Amino acid sequence: MNKLKLNYTSLSFLPILVCIPLGYQLINNLHFGGFKLFQEFLISAFNPKIDNEIIITVINRLNETILIGFFSWLVSIIFGAIFGIISSNIFYKIFNIPNFFYSMIRFFLTIIRSIHEVVWGIVLMQIYGINFSIGIIAICIPYIAVNSKVFAEQLETIDYKRFESINQINAPKFSSLLTIVWIPIINTFKNFGLYRLECSIRSTVILGLFGIGGIGTSIFLSFQTLNFRELWTYLWSLSILIILSGLIFKKIKFNTKNKILSIFFIAVFFITILFSFSYFLYFIFNNNFENFNSVSSLFKSSSDLGLFDFLKLILETIILSLLSTGIAISLPPVVIGIFNNNTSKIFIKIFAFLLRLIPTPVILLILLTFNNPSLSLAALTLGLHNAGITSKLLFTNLESQDRGNYIAMKSLGISKKTSWLLGLFSQQAKSYLAYCAYRSDIIIRETAIVGVIGSVGLGWQLQESLSSFAWQEVTIVLIAYSSIAIIGELISGKIKNSLA
Amino acid sequence: MNNTLLELKNISYKYKNNLILNKVNLKINSGEKIALLGKSGSGKTTLISVLNGTIKPTQGEVKLFNKSFEELDRKQKSKISTIWQDLRLIEDLSAEQNVNCGLLAENNFYFAFKNLLNMSSFKKAHKYMQLCRLHNSVYDKKIRTLSGGQKQRVAVARSLIQGSNILLADEPFNNLDPKLITTIKNLLLENVDKNNTKKSPKTALVALHRLDLLKDFDKVIGIRDGKIFFNIKINNLKKLHLEKIY
Repeated sequence: MNKLKLNYTSLSFLPILVCIPLGYQLINNLHFGGFKLFQEFLISAFNPKIDNEIIITVINRLNETILIGFFSWLVSIIFGAIFGIISSNIFYKIFNIPNFFYSMIRFFLTIIRSIHEVVWGIVLMQIYGINFSIGIIAICIPYIAVNSKVFAEQLETIDYKRFESINQINAPKFSSLLTIVWIPIINTFKNFGLYRLECSIRSTVILGLFGIGGIGTSIFLSFQTLNFRELWTYLWSLSILIILSGLIFKKIKFNTKNKILSIFFIAVFFITILFSFSYFLYFIFNNNFENFNSVSSLFKSSSDLGLFDFLKLILETIILSLLSTGIAISLPPVVIGIFNNNTSKIFIKIFAFLLRLIPTPVILLILLTFNNPSLSLAALTLGLHNAGITSKLLFTNLESQDRGNYIAMKSLGISKKTSWLLGLFSQQAKSYLAYCAYRSDIIIRETAIVGVIGSVGLGWQLQESLSSFAWQEVTIVLIAYSSIAIIGELISGKIKNSLA
Repeated sequence: MNNTLLELKNISYKYKNNLILNKVNLKINSGEKIALLGKSGSGKTTLISVLNGTIKPTQGEVKLFNKSFEELDRKQKSKISTIWQDLRLIEDLSAEQNVNCGLLAENNFYFAFKNLLNMSSFKKAHKYMQLCRLHNSVYDKKIRTLSGGQKQRVAVARSLIQGSNILLADEPFNNLDPKLITTIKNLLLENVDKNNTKKSPKTALVALHRLDLLKDFDKVIGIRDGKIFFNIKINNLKKLHLEKIY
């Protein structure tokens, strides 16, 4: 008997097997009470509410979303670049600082990064109460750490010989540093920075679902009142915002020779830093800390969480991450491979766009209309949302690939599906898996969002502990959550490196 | 009077169990122009890297102005300029910005900032680029778009603008046509200011392969397998010497 050989192509399809236990539990949990609601939800997509009142609300809510998203992005990209420099090896080589500090700052940023913005948001809301600034701060904290990682990774690819050459001129150390890092920083900003604004807007929407304001709050309220027509008005307007911002970014070209533009960017850079610091100080000294009177309350509060329950929650979070990752990896190639014609591709693209557009908590709430809350349902939600993202990447890569092999195979009489698999997908499988490894990091962090809504894992426990002001429990859950994310990041990093 | 600028005392350098430099002793006096000969892989580039302080030797002592490298301040270290074999220019910056990098040591952070934003003065850079026969159409072109010869001359201009006392050059005549070789050789071996006025001879150590260029040097050093085989005046150079190292 032939042995099954694992290669990049088969590894891309194998995780689809998670659908067997998942499907079994989902079918068992099926109920028909909410089918009518689901039907109504789908029909409303083609008949959104449009009147003067809602248009004004949409404009106001979008303004809030753009404002929170834009400021979070601006602050996180600028501080991300600064932290990126001080967490890259170039900085320590130029200033002859011991490697211990390099490891320390990297570890600190990894911890900050490991906690999702929604978790930061609900913790900060519990401490400071709901206000506009919490949204910006909650997004900025993990985003600064994420951006700093990307900037630092780019700076660490700088040719060491170039560093030696500038260092040998023996210029003041800050001059050498600036000259070496300038171009990689600008290039990273061009290639990655603008995309982060879209992420920032998406995060603002998700935080809005938890009450921070903006269009997310309106989406959540219209869902709670089952006003699906209104819900779709918000969703479609959000999609227009995301599409428009994408088109605008494609048109933006940075001309570093334009002196006025350079002065403008420098002014924005310094004003943002000054404003952020002053606002941070203002925020610290002008809050009542209503629910978190002193650090001592952290230790006074008791924890009712037993060891067994706690381990069960950790296990649930890990299983949730694995199942979601399996769906996110395998669903796009399976669906594209089976429905491999132009009309189907258009439908798949629209469906994938909707999965990216609709925030995960809303997808989960929709699925809850005909299924009981369970780990499988949370995994399906997170998996579908991320499959929307991985399928976009897969489509982009497949469309830019040379079709020579595919055409040659088809001309030999090989079926269209097999030609697609061997002539097109197999060449993309390695880079696709490498991206999925990176995506799995994000999935682990996102388990908190679906956990809060879907009564699963540490996310749910966090919400419960926060509601009862059990700060000791909150701390334990956050440490566990952060540890899982860090271990997951280490594993996916190893996988990514082995695929590079 | 002791006019030794650079001195290597019993220098050895090991890399991954390979002895690249083996007990090298060398003195470079002020105003000397020295040619460094040796086949590829003989240790020429490593010797230059030890001399400019980029590489720390595994054993031995390097002295500049009679002081060890650790005792020197930044200004004293900047008295050495280097033209690297692989040029080591910043590919995404323009030619004039790269040349201005040679002025970083004598200027403050604000100058570095203005240089990157194209807001600093390029007058001095343009003078040196002109001396290196670079056409003004390439001044604002990015390095990655230039030809090998143009890049070579940008590296030379960057080194000249530093106004250093000691020049270390690793095969600086690569990619140049015979006419340009003469121009660049004169620029490197005779100190020139921005008005193209010749000044007192510069101290230079130049690694090269072309024997027809040797006549302009005072001394010649032959290196093989990380060891200095001869260190003699140019007039004493015999065919036998060359046979030992090639």
